[in-house]
Amino acid sequence: MNRTALAIASFLVIMPFLWMVSLAFTPEEDAFGTGSLIPAQPTTDNFVTAFADADLGRALLNSTVVTVVAVLANCLAAVAAGYAFAMLPFRGSTPLFYALVSTAAIPVSVTLIPLFLMAKSMPLAGGNDLAGTGGTGLLDTLGGVVLPYLVLPMNIFLARQYFSTADPHLAEAARMDGAGEWLVFRRVYFPLARPLVTVIAIFSFTAVWDDFLWPLVITSSQETQTVQLALARFLSTGNVQYGPLMAGAVLVTLPVIAVFLFNQRSFISGLTDGSVKG
Amino acid sequence: MNRHLWTAAGLGVLLLAGCGLSGGGARQPSEPAGNSLTVWFPGTNKTEIDLVTGTIVPKFEKETGTKVSVTFLDWHDLSTKLNAAFAAGTAPDVFGHGPAAVADFVANDRLEPLTPYVGKLSQQDRDDLANALPGGRVGGTQYLIPLSMQGNLIAYRPGDFTKAGLDPDKPPATWEAVSEAAKKLTKRDGGKVTHAGLLLPSQPIGRQQTFAGLLGSAGGDQLSADGKQVTFDSPAGVKALEYFIAAYQGPEAVANQLGASYVDLPVAQQPLVTGDASMTVLAPQTIQQIVRAKPELDIRVMPVPKFEGAERGIALGGAGPGLMINKDSAQKELAWKFISYMISKGTSVEYTEGIGAIPARVSAIESDYVKNSPVVQAFLQQAGNFRPNPNVRGWTQIRDVMGKHLERALNKKVGAEEALRQAAAEVDTILKNG
Amino acid sequence: MSTLVEARPGTSTGHRAPRTRRGSRRWVGVLFVLPAALYLICFQLVPVLYGLVLSFTRYSPLSRSGPQPVGVANYTRLLSSPEFGQALLVTGRYVLIVLPFTVVIALGLAMLARRPFRGVGLFRSALYVPHIVSLTTVSMVWLWIYSQHGLVNQILAVLGLSEQSWLLEESSALNAASVMRIWKALGANMVLLLAGLQSIPTVLYEAAVDGAGRWAVFRHVTLPGLRPMLTYVVAMDIVFLAQGFAEIFVLTKGGPLGSTTTVNYLIYTEAFQYNRFGSASAMAFVLFAFIVAFSFLAIRGVSGRRS
Repeated sequence: MNRTALAIASFLVIMPFLWMVSLAFTPEEDAFGTGSLIPAQPTTDNFVTAFADADLGRALLNSTVVTVVAVLANCLAAVAAGYAFAMLPFRGSTPLFYALVSTAAIPVSVTLIPLFLMAKSMPLAGGNDLAGTGGTGLLDTLGGVVLPYLVLPMNIFLARQYFSTADPHLAEAARMDGAGEWLVFRRVYFPLARPLVTVIAIFSFTAVWDDFLWPLVITSSQETQTVQLALARFLSTGNVQYGPLMAGAVLVTLPVIAVFLFNQRSFISGLTDGSVKG
Repeated sequence: MNRHLWTAAGLGVLLLAGCGLSGGGARQPSEPAGNSLTVWFPGTNKTEIDLVTGTIVPKFEKETGTKVSVTFLDWHDLSTKLNAAFAAGTAPDVFGHGPAAVADFVANDRLEPLTPYVGKLSQQDRDDLANALPGGRVGGTQYLIPLSMQGNLIAYRPGDFTKAGLDPDKPPATWEAVSEAAKKLTKRDGGKVTHAGLLLPSQPIGRQQTFAGLLGSAGGDQLSADGKQVTFDSPAGVKALEYFIAAYQGPEAVANQLGASYVDLPVAQQPLVTGDASMTVLAPQTIQQIVRAKPELDIRVMPVPKFEGAERGIALGGAGPGLMINKDSAQKELAWKFISYMISKGTSVEYTEGIGAIPARVSAIESDYVKNSPVVQAFLQQAGNFRPNPNVRGWTQIRDVMGKHLERALNKKVGAEEALRQAAAEVDTILKNG
Repeated sequence: MSTLVEARPGTSTGHRAPRTRRGSRRWVGVLFVLPAALYLICFQLVPVLYGLVLSFTRYSPLSRSGPQPVGVANYTRLLSSPEFGQALLVTGRYVLIVLPFTVVIALGLAMLARRPFRGVGLFRSALYVPHIVSLTTVSMVWLWIYSQHGLVNQILAVLGLSEQSWLLEESSALNAASVMRIWKALGANMVLLLAGLQSIPTVLYEAAVDGAGRWAVFRHVTLPGLRPMLTYVVAMDIVFLAQGFAEIFVLTKGGPLGSTTTVNYLIYTEAFQYNRFGSASAMAFVLFAFIVAFSFLAIRGVSGRRS
């Protein structure tokens, strides 16, 4: 019963994606020409075009580098911070928490340009001196691309929520053994928070992989472009190249699906660990 | 799982990533080697990219011994990127945009005046570019060099004309006749139009353009010649807007899908291709794509209609997007060299053919591109009837304000006259405050 | 594998550590937070404060003269702007339409997908796909789905109903955009709730097995145990939905008749089309105030007492 319901829901939800796959195999002129999901004359040309025209290989490499860094940074810094806000409160920690998290409620349009100016004046980067002048800082580098994602404020919130239900007594035993707080976190709580770390990893991955506006502004050469920028080449207003666009989009979605498929196993409901069987 | 293995792998990835992060951009815009040039092109048209990066730029680089880095940006990404770049002082040497954006750059002192550079062109070249150049001037000074001409005309399905008892060889010459023909071509189910006799662009930007064309054909103008007064709230304006409304509303409506952006649809979904419409206003690029994909439809283009009693028909068009030079560029001579290369005779035709646009040069009429394309010929013959939007500061906002009030009138929320009066009041404030 | 909740002895209250240890632990807390806090202060808070300063100025990035102070003029203009008022209403409606659907459906899917069975990973992945697929690209498909001869109208035709112009009618455009957003947000919410479901102590279910119906177990065990995560899901959805922009930009461009013009759409236009960053920033901070107030109310509602 569960399985049938899930199957139906999954099918409905994945429909638009199936259309993208279908269009990826449809010759350019026939895009949206028929209402059929199966292309009348399937072709793989679009994939060839996507790789050749948009330099997708390079873009995939760049996006991977940037994403890996952002995921690691979030899994460490955001989880640690959320843990401390929940388990090791200090004077002023609550206002600090709200101040940090609330920045997520300001639209990017407002922070885009200040952040760009900061990236440009990053001291000692891209030919800059200590005062951040003289060079181009992080402009048009992958370091610049990753800059806004290293700690996503909502991840701290998420980690705090997660640890707010954790059992403080767990720490006691470790502390009795003389373990420092870092060890308590690393040995006791961090390993137990695997679902949390998985979610934060997946979300950070998605956020970086999908973003368009910041990479658009910060990069300018082909050498630093990310997957979404590479796809944008097929998105010319009024002259969209549907075939290559869909082929490219399907291709860049696959790694994320793979990462998800591999990691979702950590969401095994507590139910099954006990005596009640599903 | 072996934890040490994970730690090692993690460190390895970090190291790799670190190298990747610090490397990155191959080019350092901060150190403008005496002969390197940065160019941002508007639009990400495939043919244009292939042509510019594959042929034009390599030829230019070889001839001049320079290095040109070109970036192509889709239209609505352009402002975002230019804004950030100008704020940080990292704007490119040469960048492109539509004529409507020029006045704002000029007002902020961001553009190099190009009049002296144009003066260096031969008289022959200047005559050849006479249709295009005026569209790139603000207050009499040249700032933008248009690379192509643009315009919108009515394309139609001759087969539908024949079936409806109309002569496809004698398309209607006045807007009144267009309307009559459209009524014969329209099919209805109950009160609903199921097949449109005539589609006029009615999406946000399109409806201002449709109105501007109708207004011109009724003898009106959007703004006064000096760009300081609103003039569209005139009897001609009311006539134009009422015509526009009547196409979409009422028992005699000939159009459907009010607000839909049919001009941006893929070829297979174009109303002329699906058979959902018999006449639609389109740009030459789209018409050529349709002709190429569906030659059997024999799509044709009609001359600009006028309103009865008016002098001549006017369609929105004129100078198309072009290139400008950043006032702070350290490479102005080289920048101009690049622009003049782009508009040189051979390159210009190659370029406009590549993107399917109307050529900027009059002499292009002799080229194989024009000779082999009845669509482009039709557009070139109408070149004298194309009128651009005004080059005034704050135009983007003026366009959107007009669009907003036109939409209200098209949806019968307010009468034509009242809508134009309200729009005029708002536009007036923008013109005064700059 | 052992989970942190299993070792948890029912309800845990008042745990006291020796005074000296507590004192030093305060400092440790600061150290844990430090990297994230320093980074966020530099690269989030500073740009936000810069924006706050800009909201009291007139500023175009194109201009050579820099920001010109104008006092509260940007804010007073917003008060008298009917467009801004309408955009606030549209944003509010949008959040109120999308939020309940996306949370409730995601909760249902998470309940279905919580137990492992063969292929559950594939179903979970399928449900998460909308969240990862490029929005601009998939919007092409959605535009077609809603178009004159699109999927929805084809289905209506089969059922003998007349076609609708989903994105072109004032009455349906916002709902149509909402459906796409619900679709897009489902996967993320489901993943969060899956993680949340996992942290509910098994012992609680075991205790409840005697005689309690499924609904009662859900109400008295699952829901309370899910509260911290549910709180997060609701807060996150509000924060992101209230900033809805991209899906509007690709589907309706704010039309018809401004019926889908959200505040963030106005902010984008103001900033990047009209180059008025001062007034765009002012809009952003008014929106910010609404988001904070609304999230606060919602968090209190979901979590009962504490935030």
